[in-house]
Amino acid sequence: MSRVVMRFTGVGGQGVLLAGEIFAAAKIKAGGYGVKTATYTSQVRGGPTVVDIQLDDKEIFYPYATDGHVDFMLSVAEASYKLFKNGVKEGGTIVIEPNLVHPTEEDRKKWNIVEIPIITIAKEEVGNVITQSVVALAIANTYTQALDEQVLIDTMLSKVPAKVHEVNKKAYELGKKYALESMK
Amino acid sequence: MSATREIISSGNELAAIAAVDAGCMFFAGYPLTPSSEVMHVISDLLPKKGGAAIQMEDEIAGVAAAIGAGMAGIRTLTATSGPGMSLKAENLGLAQMAEVPLVCVNVMRGGPSTGLPTRVAQGDIAQAKNPSHGDYKSITVCAGNLAECYTETVRAFNLADRFMQPVFVLLDETLGHMHAKAMLPTVEEVQAGIVPRKTFDGPAEEYQPYGVAQDEPAVLNPMFTGYRYHFTGLHHDAMGFPTEEIETCRKLIDRLFRKVEAYQDEIESNEEYMIEDADILLVGYGSASLAIKEAVDVLRAEGVKVGMFRPITIWPSPETRMHELGEKFDKVLVVELNQGQYLEEVQRSMGRLDINKLTKTNGRPFSPSDIIEKVKEL
Repeated sequence: MSRVVMRFTGVGGQGVLLAGEIFAAAKIKAGGYGVKTATYTSQVRGGPTVVDIQLDDKEIFYPYATDGHVDFMLSVAEASYKLFKNGVKEGGTIVIEPNLVHPTEEDRKKWNIVEIPIITIAKEEVGNVITQSVVALAIANTYTQALDEQVLIDTMLSKVPAKVHEVNKKAYELGKKYALESMK
Repeated sequence: MSATREIISSGNELAAIAAVDAGCMFFAGYPLTPSSEVMHVISDLLPKKGGAAIQMEDEIAGVAAAIGAGMAGIRTLTATSGPGMSLKAENLGLAQMAEVPLVCVNVMRGGPSTGLPTRVAQGDIAQAKNPSHGDYKSITVCAGNLAECYTETVRAFNLADRFMQPVFVLLDETLGHMHAKAMLPTVEEVQAGIVPRKTFDGPAEEYQPYGVAQDEPAVLNPMFTGYRYHFTGLHHDAMGFPTEEIETCRKLIDRLFRKVEAYQDEIESNEEYMIEDADILLVGYGSASLAIKEAVDVLRAEGVKVGMFRPITIWPSPETRMHELGEKFDKVLVVELNQGQYLEEVQRSMGRLDINKLTKTNGRPFSPSDIIEKVKEL
């Protein structure tokens, strides 16, 4: 595979970091290199957070995404959307939580902006807001096709306690379903 | 060491795991961003091994407790970031003077003062050379990738016991928090490489911990094992008792230097990347070297012949090798996340002032394109 660069952005406390770790670990498990870096502010909660994920068959030295090279971004907060959107290459996909992120008309011309209510799905359909990172994981992989789905799900399940396996599987399935619907 | 064990982890976690694998049985410190995970992880690991990890009331108490454990003969770790190093400085001077081995991990963030707690910097390079007042010879290693967060921490423990002094391991926010694959030596290999510190086995009345050859470290038997000595930060004699005797005072500080200088080849460690046929030399260390390596690869693909020299042991500096490189290369560029702290050492070692610099102090990492652009300007 050639390098896939993803970026998850939100605010501190939303749990976007875990999804990045799962992607990196799954790629390494499948063979190759995966790197996750997170940049956050000194605010405990509420500060803009960005997680960069790079997956490649070749070794990755520099751990951050280079601006203009991000293939796929997912954003669940307005402040971080504005700060980090310019890293996405022209024509790249940005999935946003439409209740929280409001792109401009120009943004919609420059990028493929997809609206999926990630937090609402996690809160109301899965029944646990914490699963939003798994919903996001499913959406990102459905769009990028970066990794074999089973390896990704297995890696995800290995990182969460056994008692929440079912709810996280459900979150993954719902994320995938919404992503596929948004492509129609 | 070979690299046969695959671990997916962060630099901070790897430093903690390395300490335990290297036989560390005691940690004392105070959590400080961006180093806190070192403490989180080792607090989990040590009790399972019969060791102990204590969260002290502050960083000063953390290093004080670590010195106590070091005197008891135990491999001991403390970890912090720049502001914590400032607090620990006085006691680190005590450990240099009394020759107590311990390892201190500093995960660098933006400074001075509280600075930029969650952001990357390499501003503690000069501090690592002389964190406290007075004369002594620092041993400081600087990890440049995830695997080295592990292997350099292991090496730091061995150096501390070999040279009987604190050894500093510099990480930075990028390395501490980045999460990826690291290829590591096996635990068995690490354990096989442990050389316990020297002890004196003769009659207790003949024991003179500081009565050693002029290029050797003190021989501190663990406390409470039947060997007595006096422990002080004052200038001291062979038994550790305070003295102002002229020749003893001169020899003590001279020995603190010589014990390191005489064995620099045991301590020095560097990486040379694509240097052989290069026209331009980049010098960098720590996480900045990750951007440099990527820049070297991109520039090489465009036909620009660049290479990188990376000191892994930054203090004492690889001055002889840098001098040789300074004679070979016309164009040298030092890349560091500070205002030029190591630049001065490169200038000194190379014996010239016409060294180019690329520096950054806004809490953001270098991107490979920053470096590529600068190289093209040279």
